[in-house]
Amino acid sequence: MVHQHGGGQPGGAALLAAAFALGGGVAYLLAAARLRRRGDRWPFVRDLCFAAGTAVLVAAVLVTPPGGPFTAHMTQHVATGMVAPLLLVLARPITLALRFLPSGGRRRLLAVLRSRPVGVLANPPVAALLDVGGLWLLYRTPLFTAAHERPWLMALVHLHVFAAGLLFSAVVCSLDPLPRRPGVVLRSAALIGAGGAHAVLAKTLYATPPPGTGLAPGDLSAAAELMYYGGDLVEIALAAVIGLQWYAAGGRRLAREGRRTAGTGEPPASASYGQ
Amino acid sequence: MTTPSVSRTTPQQPRSRPLPARSAWSGVLIGVGIAAFVDETVFHQLLHWHHFYDRSTPGVGLVSDGLFHAFGWFAVVIGLFMVADLRHRAGLVGRAQAGGILTGTGAFQLYDGTVQHKLMKLHQIRYHVDLVPYDLTWNILAVVFLAIGVTLLRAARHINSR
Repeated sequence: MVHQHGGGQPGGAALLAAAFALGGGVAYLLAAARLRRRGDRWPFVRDLCFAAGTAVLVAAVLVTPPGGPFTAHMTQHVATGMVAPLLLVLARPITLALRFLPSGGRRRLLAVLRSRPVGVLANPPVAALLDVGGLWLLYRTPLFTAAHERPWLMALVHLHVFAAGLLFSAVVCSLDPLPRRPGVVLRSAALIGAGGAHAVLAKTLYATPPPGTGLAPGDLSAAAELMYYGGDLVEIALAAVIGLQWYAAGGRRLAREGRRTAGTGEPPASASYGQ
Repeated sequence: MTTPSVSRTTPQQPRSRPLPARSAWSGVLIGVGIAAFVDETVFHQLLHWHHFYDRSTPGVGLVSDGLFHAFGWFAVVIGLFMVADLRHRAGLVGRAQAGGILTGTGAFQLYDGTVQHKLMKLHQIRYHVDLVPYDLTWNILAVVFLAIGVTLLRAARHINSR
């Protein structure tokens, strides 16, 4: 996502990004409404999540947050790279698309989901590396200063932060049907690894600014703490999604076992065949 | 279908079997999370004894700190879901869980107090004071937690074997 730094009117790229986000949000709500009219069950809380995610994106793109320039930049990154992706993923947009699209579109979407590049990207370690690795590149190489001098590069950086955050949240939550749905342990390990790398980067930013920048110490430390604690909040939310899935799966297994145990009270009709 | 008699002669429902090992692990996760949380909230944010980052920590200390920080949050969330699951199965063993919590807290605090603070020279407990009494209190308390925790875990295992 593209947004303006240092105040002033939002640029053309920012307006375009906001329009894209808004269009996506409206499309989601219309599709969900049509699904419900058709008689499908689609909880309203998902609409709420997607609308909130869209609102966070639009706000991050158009509004300059308070604080020094680097703190404002960090607020926008936490919003576009972590909070908005989590909200969008919770709304299960791919599931909605698969249900909403006509059969031709659904086949094409499934082909994309099953394609080799998506299979590689949907690996938890790959997604974690793209997400946090990109941040390390941004803040620990001259990329940050280079992007500040070239608006197109900055737009690309923001787009990457959003896309990688979306990919990472989607893979860790695995709410939508992904190719070869990764296991709980691998997703947890990726979350802890990415959370750790994010925390380390935030702590080093507190002491050492990105190369080539002359930031005010107060601005730098406020941004670093925002990155650190903002990361914690989103990590807790992601862990809660994993935990809830694990708990629900355990409950389903328990219910199955219970049914089976209850069933053994009466010998099944087919039992005699085995004897 | 070949052994219907066997399945019929196991009347215990799987719902009420005590699960001491899983109870202990849920406790360990929550214990590590509590230790990390107390470290962060009480010492960093309320007392301001720890610094957010004291700018003198070598890389390995930062990596260890970052991973344990991320793991602490994850552990407490997953540990609580494990408790919910154990209660759902009516398999929660209180003593095993309490033992796990104390073992997790003690082990993390001891690791923090010895390896992270001393070996890796991560942040110290407090600054501009004589550190010896702080370090001793910190680590002795950790060993006490650990000892009580391990004793409780052994007792819980004893209950199970009966």
